[in-house]
Amino acid sequence: MNAAALAASTRSAVLQWPGWKRLPRDSRDTLFLLAVIAWTVLPHASHLPAWSLWLTAAVLLWRARLALVNGPLPGRWVLVAVLIGAIGLTFWSYRTLLGKEPGVTLAVALMALKTLELRARRDAFVVFFLAFFIILTHFLYSQSMLVAIAMLVSVWGLLTALVLAHMPVGKPGLTLAGGLAARTALLGAPVMVLLFVLFPRIGPLWGVPQDGISKTGLSNTMKMGSMAEVARDDGVAMRIRFDGQAPAQPQMYFRGPVLTRFDGVEWAPVGLSFAPQSLPARAPALVTRGEPLGYEVTLEPLRLASVPLLEATTDVFPVEGYRLVPRDDLQWLADKPVLERLRFKAIASTSFVLGAPRRLGELQESLELPDGFNPRTLAWAREFRNAHKGASATRLANELLQHIRSGGFSYTLAPGNYGRDAVDEFWLDRKEGFCEHFAAAFVVVLRAAGVPARIVTGYQGTDLLPVDGYYVVRQSSAHAWAEFWQTGTGWVRADPTGAVAPDRIGRSSRLAPLPGFVAGTLDAMNPQLFADLRRAWEAINNRWNQSVLNYSRGHQLDVLKQIGFDAPTWEDLALLLVGTLICLSIAGALWAWLDRHRVDPWARQLARIRDALRALGIAAAPHEPPRTLALRVRERLGGAGERLALLLEALEARRYGRDAARRPDPSMTHEFTSEAHRLRTVAPR
Amino acid sequence: MSVSAVLTAPWNVRARVRRWLTARLPRSDSQLLTQANVYILPTRAGWMFALTLIVLLLASINYQLNLGYLLTFLLAGSGVVSMHITHGTLRGLTLHLRPVAPAFAGSAAVLDIVLSSPTSTRFGIGLRLLEAPVATLAWTNVPAGGQATAHVSYVPGRRGLHDVPTLTAETRFPLGLFRAWTVWRPVARVLVYPQVEADAPALPAARPVSGAALQARRSVGGEIEGVRAYRRGDPLKLIAWKKAAQALATGAELVSRDTSTSARQELWLEWQACARLGPEERLSRLAAWTLAADRADADYGLRLPGAEIEPGDGDAQRARCLEALALWR
Repeated sequence: MNAAALAASTRSAVLQWPGWKRLPRDSRDTLFLLAVIAWTVLPHASHLPAWSLWLTAAVLLWRARLALVNGPLPGRWVLVAVLIGAIGLTFWSYRTLLGKEPGVTLAVALMALKTLELRARRDAFVVFFLAFFIILTHFLYSQSMLVAIAMLVSVWGLLTALVLAHMPVGKPGLTLAGGLAARTALLGAPVMVLLFVLFPRIGPLWGVPQDGISKTGLSNTMKMGSMAEVARDDGVAMRIRFDGQAPAQPQMYFRGPVLTRFDGVEWAPVGLSFAPQSLPARAPALVTRGEPLGYEVTLEPLRLASVPLLEATTDVFPVEGYRLVPRDDLQWLADKPVLERLRFKAIASTSFVLGAPRRLGELQESLELPDGFNPRTLAWAREFRNAHKGASATRLANELLQHIRSGGFSYTLAPGNYGRDAVDEFWLDRKEGFCEHFAAAFVVVLRAAGVPARIVTGYQGTDLLPVDGYYVVRQSSAHAWAEFWQTGTGWVRADPTGAVAPDRIGRSSRLAPLPGFVAGTLDAMNPQLFADLRRAWEAINNRWNQSVLNYSRGHQLDVLKQIGFDAPTWEDLALLLVGTLICLSIAGALWAWLDRHRVDPWARQLARIRDALRALGIAAAPHEPPRTLALRVRERLGGAGERLALLLEALEARRYGRDAARRPDPSMTHEFTSEAHRLRTVAPR
Repeated sequence: MSVSAVLTAPWNVRARVRRWLTARLPRSDSQLLTQANVYILPTRAGWMFALTLIVLLLASINYQLNLGYLLTFLLAGSGVVSMHITHGTLRGLTLHLRPVAPAFAGSAAVLDIVLSSPTSTRFGIGLRLLEAPVATLAWTNVPAGGQATAHVSYVPGRRGLHDVPTLTAETRFPLGLFRAWTVWRPVARVLVYPQVEADAPALPAARPVSGAALQARRSVGGEIEGVRAYRRGDPLKLIAWKKAAQALATGAELVSRDTSTSARQELWLEWQACARLGPEERLSRLAAWTLAADRADADYGLRLPGAEIEPGDGDAQRARCLEALALWR
């Protein structure tokens, strides 16, 4: 490289920002598209591996620089090399190229690299279509309103870039193109609503990979510390609307998976395998007291077959697409994992007794403890039993609760890590933990003392104040409690967490971790305002969930019923959709056919005037403007035609003058023809 | 395969059908675009868009994403609307061809097309010859209730009086998913002069007019001395600018050269002078000489077999001679 070329390259390397308005059109359009792409990818930042973010940012910045200095795009081999690198890194990150996360990572890398190849219009289209696809992938992670708004902005930006690409003349403003894009989308909104309402919701066409959808909240198993994760999730698990008076907060136990098996580390339910045919359809030996309470549940997709319902739910109204049945342990199971938001009605009695075991070995299973774990706790339990010889299970449990109350236990969400003999460590040494530690230790001690016991997981309590009549159950309300067997009565609930932290039960957001900085500041400054804002947001969000995200086949069939179908099926839905589309198409075709014969109203007016003039014997050619015709009228008719000539001049002014009108004046035409008619009858030629 | 090859290949059924369809169109210099003559089809990008929509729909169904449905249907709705907007961009537009100036074979002929929109603003309308490649599109926007001009140029191959080639106007605005186009056969004809011979030999010698009383007086600088006062209508090149500048400085009028003094020599451009050349080459050379003589400001005449144009000068003479060359057969 010689000195001059070197100097030139360093000169071009110094970026000078000429100002947005002064950018050449190509550079401006490219920068705009890059900004839209960055905005589209940004929400993925929390899911993508770090290298992918750096690569995307580097490629976009490189492309922006090229756009600014008008530099040449890199050769194809560079792109191929980077792409192969990206594929290799993806494989290295995930050990596979299939599935959601690797797919998203690859799509983002592809789109970023494609921006380096924006040569022809075809390349631009590839970027647009990849971007639309990436927008969809955001919804796999979250369908919240914020994500929806962010992605609406993305779609608008992409459509604007598309419109810009098809305005080849001059330098059209971004606002103009943005307005045109918004107009296109707004005019398309009725089509969107029609399709959204009527397009039949059918089940998944093929199996969704297990990692397909993010998963927080309850799971089928419990390990020490696993629930702390859930506690940090302020998301909504379900919303409840009671038909009558809501039960008191301490009574709102939502029963999820019942965990009986303990292998020393992990608690698991008994024989919970998905085999819908073998589900026991018989009801548990349940005796309820008091008035049954009807309620409506809007259940967020928990990705579990277990459906947490108010204790003790006796009946569930049929749910479209699912079959819900109660197990022996009063846990409600769906015949397949619930992957969509469900809304259904159920009936519960908060006052109940779960009586005699129906299954052989149920009590035996609830006594088993793994060998070689927690020896000191087992020894402690034997001593405890010996100290209370002949006491009933209830008495033992109460003694234990008393021990927890007075034994120096404390409640904390951050107890640190526990080792192999976690119960030993918790029960005898550190004595700090949260619901799962207390429940697990309680059950282990009871079992060791010869009382059948098990862990129940689920949710406890709701937000104190209902929003729009809905009580919100959050993931942070996830809870674990215990049940023990009292001979002669049945399973009895005991909540050891309540013994150490009484306000933990019946208080809203009990597992709440420390609030974030902004929320904390706001909360400190004006707690009332913060609470109001939060509630308003919840209300809007609830509307969003109920009307958009929760819209399912059931709602579609409701819509059909409202418009007069007796027993609608999804075939009716499809027929209605196709019928509506056909009607709209026919209407469009009809309009087009009518429009074929449409004539410019000015031309129609002039044609009638020409006919009137011809009847008076004055030649008028189609190309002649009214001014020329006025001259000819004066020439031929003299003073008699003055009125016609004036009318023609007025017409000329109306069409071409300073304050030209958009449409001709029909009364003017009428006046002209009647005057021409009068002249013809007065002085026939 | 070049455009002309497509045209001439007898087995190319598509081209034949297209020519047959085109030939059925009525000719007119002014065409109002309506439902009847605006056609629309999806572009390749439009098909790609449809494929994208199907993929998005499948993903939404499989993952039960209501927002995915919304996205898919929003894009589908925008696509449908864009079809109407694309069609509406051409519909209602009036195309008008201005009188076409004569052109030389082998160099560009320019068609001035006026587009007028009685209603809304139209963006991104491209015009080209029907047979020309897409890259030759001349783009224009038409303001609301106004007019815009587009220049479509093409290179006529042969001299003579030809029909203006079939034109097409198209648009992909706003999203590029659909292409609306119209085919327009203007009724106007364009006069094509013979191709000008490059590096033609020098003009034949001019001969003094026999019996002329006066010789043109020429000064040392080669400038004609005979001047007279400027008369309205004198062409610009007749004005003697040096003298005019002096005259204007002294407050007098402009002065023009007096051509009557220089009209004593005349130049004949003759068919016979171009020996050993084919007829078209001769016409090319005569065209080049015509231009050279016109530039030299000489009086010149043209002799072709069966046609003779009396000596003269000026634009009219030039046009007369070139027309004769164009139409000679």
